[in-house]
Amino acid sequence: MENSLKIPLPKRGSADRVRWLLFLTSLSVIAITLGIIQTLLFEAITFFSEIASVRGWFSFEFNPMEVVSQTGLGAFMFMLALTMEWVSEHRRQYLNALPEPIFFPPPWVLRSIYGMLIISVVAVSSMLLWAGAAAVVVVWRRTAKKHTLRRTGDIDQADRSVTIALGFCLFFSLFIATTQHYSGAFGEFFFQTDWTPTGACADRRSLCENMSFGVNSLLLTTLQVAFGALFIAVPLGVGCAIYLSEYASPRLVAVVKPTLELLAGIPSVVYGFFAFIYIGPLVVELGEFAFAKGWIDQPPNILNPINGAIVVGVMILPLVASMSEDALRAVPNELREGSLALGATRIETTLRVMLQAALSGILASIILALSRAVGETMAVTLAVGTVAVYTSNMFLPAQTMTAYIAQRVGGDLPFGEIGYLTIFAVGLYLFMITLSLNLLGNKVLSAYREAY
Amino acid sequence: MKKDIDTLKKRSRRRRGVVEQAGSASLALSGLVGMFFLVVLVWQIAIPTFIDGENGEISAASEYIPISDYVLEWDHPNVNEQGELKTEPIVLILAWEGQNGPQTHELEIVVTANRGDKEDIQISEEGLSTISVEVGKKTKFYLKSVLEVPVSVEQRSGPVPAADASGNPQVSSFVVSGDVAVLFSNGKAVFEPLEMAGWTSLLVLTFIVSRPNERRLAPFVRCYERERQIRSVTLLLAIFTAVIGQGTLSAFLGGMCWLLFGVALVRTTEGMKRLQNQGRTLTEVKRLKHSISDREGLLMWSRMLLVSACFFIPLDIDIPFLTERYQDIFQPYASGIRSAFLGTVWVMSIAMLFSMPLSIGAAIYLEEYASPTRTTKLIQALVTNLAGVPSIVFGMFGLAIFVKQGGVGLGLGPSILAAGLTMGVMAMPIIVLASQEALRSVPRSLRESAYGVGCTQWQVVKHHVLPSAMPGIMTGSILAMSRIMGEAAPLVVVGAAALVLFDPEPLAALTGGNLNFTVIPIQIYFWTSEPEHAWHSMAAAASIALILLLIAMNSIAIVLRQHFRKRLNS
Repeated sequence: MENSLKIPLPKRGSADRVRWLLFLTSLSVIAITLGIIQTLLFEAITFFSEIASVRGWFSFEFNPMEVVSQTGLGAFMFMLALTMEWVSEHRRQYLNALPEPIFFPPPWVLRSIYGMLIISVVAVSSMLLWAGAAAVVVVWRRTAKKHTLRRTGDIDQADRSVTIALGFCLFFSLFIATTQHYSGAFGEFFFQTDWTPTGACADRRSLCENMSFGVNSLLLTTLQVAFGALFIAVPLGVGCAIYLSEYASPRLVAVVKPTLELLAGIPSVVYGFFAFIYIGPLVVELGEFAFAKGWIDQPPNILNPINGAIVVGVMILPLVASMSEDALRAVPNELREGSLALGATRIETTLRVMLQAALSGILASIILALSRAVGETMAVTLAVGTVAVYTSNMFLPAQTMTAYIAQRVGGDLPFGEIGYLTIFAVGLYLFMITLSLNLLGNKVLSAYREAY
Repeated sequence: MKKDIDTLKKRSRRRRGVVEQAGSASLALSGLVGMFFLVVLVWQIAIPTFIDGENGEISAASEYIPISDYVLEWDHPNVNEQGELKTEPIVLILAWEGQNGPQTHELEIVVTANRGDKEDIQISEEGLSTISVEVGKKTKFYLKSVLEVPVSVEQRSGPVPAADASGNPQVSSFVVSGDVAVLFSNGKAVFEPLEMAGWTSLLVLTFIVSRPNERRLAPFVRCYERERQIRSVTLLLAIFTAVIGQGTLSAFLGGMCWLLFGVALVRTTEGMKRLQNQGRTLTEVKRLKHSISDREGLLMWSRMLLVSACFFIPLDIDIPFLTERYQDIFQPYASGIRSAFLGTVWVMSIAMLFSMPLSIGAAIYLEEYASPTRTTKLIQALVTNLAGVPSIVFGMFGLAIFVKQGGVGLGLGPSILAAGLTMGVMAMPIIVLASQEALRSVPRSLRESAYGVGCTQWQVVKHHVLPSAMPGIMTGSILAMSRIMGEAAPLVVVGAAALVLFDPEPLAALTGGNLNFTVIPIQIYFWTSEPEHAWHSMAAAASIALILLLIAMNSIAIVLRQHFRKRLNS
């Protein structure tokens, strides 16, 4: 009996060796990430300390009178939002005293407020004012929702994160509104708008007087291109996703989906070429028209952020479309059937039930697409140009952060000179922006995966 | 007051109908926008390649002469040694608004063989200084105007500047033209007999295996008990083919054909033997199909090999743009992307060799071994976020780690090795995510039954999980490869050169050779940045070549995916 029960035990040693080997390979991922962060951080710190050795780290002039400005109004908006949030959390009895229409105005009022908010993105020159107004509207809707839910007894817990975020925004906007003339390494890099990293001095290698490192001109163009791209990609992409998942016949899906995959697979430099050859002249015609009407003060150039926004929009369209379609397909069929059974038409079901249910998945796709648009390089380099300017005229050549890096290293760049260090400072900023967008997007995505 | 409820209903129903139709129409419209963009993109890239290629760059000769000079030069003489015209005469029409009304003058140009001869043409109110001029080839001469009005120059006939020796414009009708010779060209065989034999035998065998019947299989009975001989003979033939063909692509494919032929033959005879040992006959084709081990896979590989080898063995396809021509600094239409193509191949190979073992190992660890500890979660989060890092940041990483000397830098210089490693790092998170997805889709029951019969963890992974996850992993790897193949940004940072007039050396960083290299996307980038329109046509041509390569790779991935999906389902 004893003999038959003898089962050869697995050799633990060899199995463990495999396990350790595999563990080491996965550690290489950590190594790469740390390598990226270390490289960027190290060179960026060298860059900042090099400037700081001449111009100091950070200084600004405090001027409380400056608070009477658009930014100051933005700070006031944030304060209003913060107060509303505080009242809705801690002084609920005041809310009960308010009349109902304050929480739930007629739909046309709500719609026109949203519309004004969207339109004023381009009209308001201070981004912080716009953000403050948006925060007020968001907190208002949030309060209304909480107010209803509390009356039915569904919710009774405070969410601190909004308060903290609003407090931070208030502090930041107050700081911006009451200070001016930032200088020093950090003040110059993050707050000034003049980007002339080569300067006009004879010795290009070291820091000299007319060099100026205000990254905001690069950042502005980057955001113009990225958000412009969203303006194209989101309506088209989400519309495409809805159509594919709700309306299209399987045969059409079988044609359109591979086409979208193909569109996603085309290299960005080819898109750049496309923008340069085809979209640029079209945008110039548009710009000529605007110039003739006197809407813009300078004649348009073939390289401009609008051109870049259109081509990047086409590039990220497949990403938005396929991710949103996945989100829509993941919505349980019962929701759709329930809505149809209640007598809603197909479009009502789509827009009011399916879209609402898949909203966080769609939001995640938009955030990830935004991160892709911010990091896009070759197409933008070819389409937007290589002149770092801080202007709201989107028909003139400009330069994004990625394009600056690509253009600057394209020449011969000796290691350790100031130009070499600038690309790492810009790269670190870019990395931080995309990393936070990715973290946010993945968080939204995983939250939505748990929901279904 | 009583509302007419029926009218209200009717109106509301009509409104809903309108909303319904308009809504779905607009959704359908936006659904087709992707297709539209693709069509426009391909069209816009194709137009400069084909149409400009056909007409040549004649536009340079029809501009105005403002007040000063206008430069012309021809590369080749248009007269032979006896002074007879080889082509149409070159005639320029010069026209301007003179004081006594509009003036039109003809100027005939003869291009002779001796370089350096030149005579400038003076344009004044009286007309031209001469009506016929002889200039040497490749010699610049000027049209000098002293008028205060612009002079328009138009070439009426003859070759445009930059024409080839025969006098034709040096522009082929297709920039990316391919010469296809089927078996013979000019009475000469274009195939190597041994490669052709291998390809034909594989073709015949594939046909027989895909549609077996008794008559076709009869000759194979003679192969019984000769597996060993078949294997060694086909191996020898394969080596022989590769050696005779001097290691070219077609020789390599011919050798592969022989190897696959051997394997297929052995498997088929084994299957037949197995069938007859069970006491059945070869007429039972359905059973035979089952008894050939992995017949579907065999057929898939041989079909893929046959199709890809078909372009090189029986058809002798020759695309000079891709495989023969280097860049030409002066003549856009005479340039090609040979060095860029080879650079792309080398960079891709190094990237895949570096990243595939690492990332597949990481995926196996994360999916099969790791317990959800903090480290594992960290690695998982890092992988997910690395996949979203902009490509140019990877380029900067490569610049600081691989290219730069000193500190943590390996000091490889702007070489193919550094570029390949950078691209490998970029591909890693994509491959890890795809492989994880593939491993996750392997059914739990497979693992549990393997554990149930006493397998160790590594045995389960090696013999059961990996084989069934392999299609997903391979598809993911190929897609990652096609994605990094089109990336130019990291290589701009790493330092790819704009102009490489030789075949790149893959290991130059270690052996100390010439480091310069370039890849196709970089070539497109630099050509697009050129001011002249002719270079844009070349950029379009290179774009088309790149897109076709990508489509080819993606279709391999799709074929693999379909095949393995079918096998898993059956």
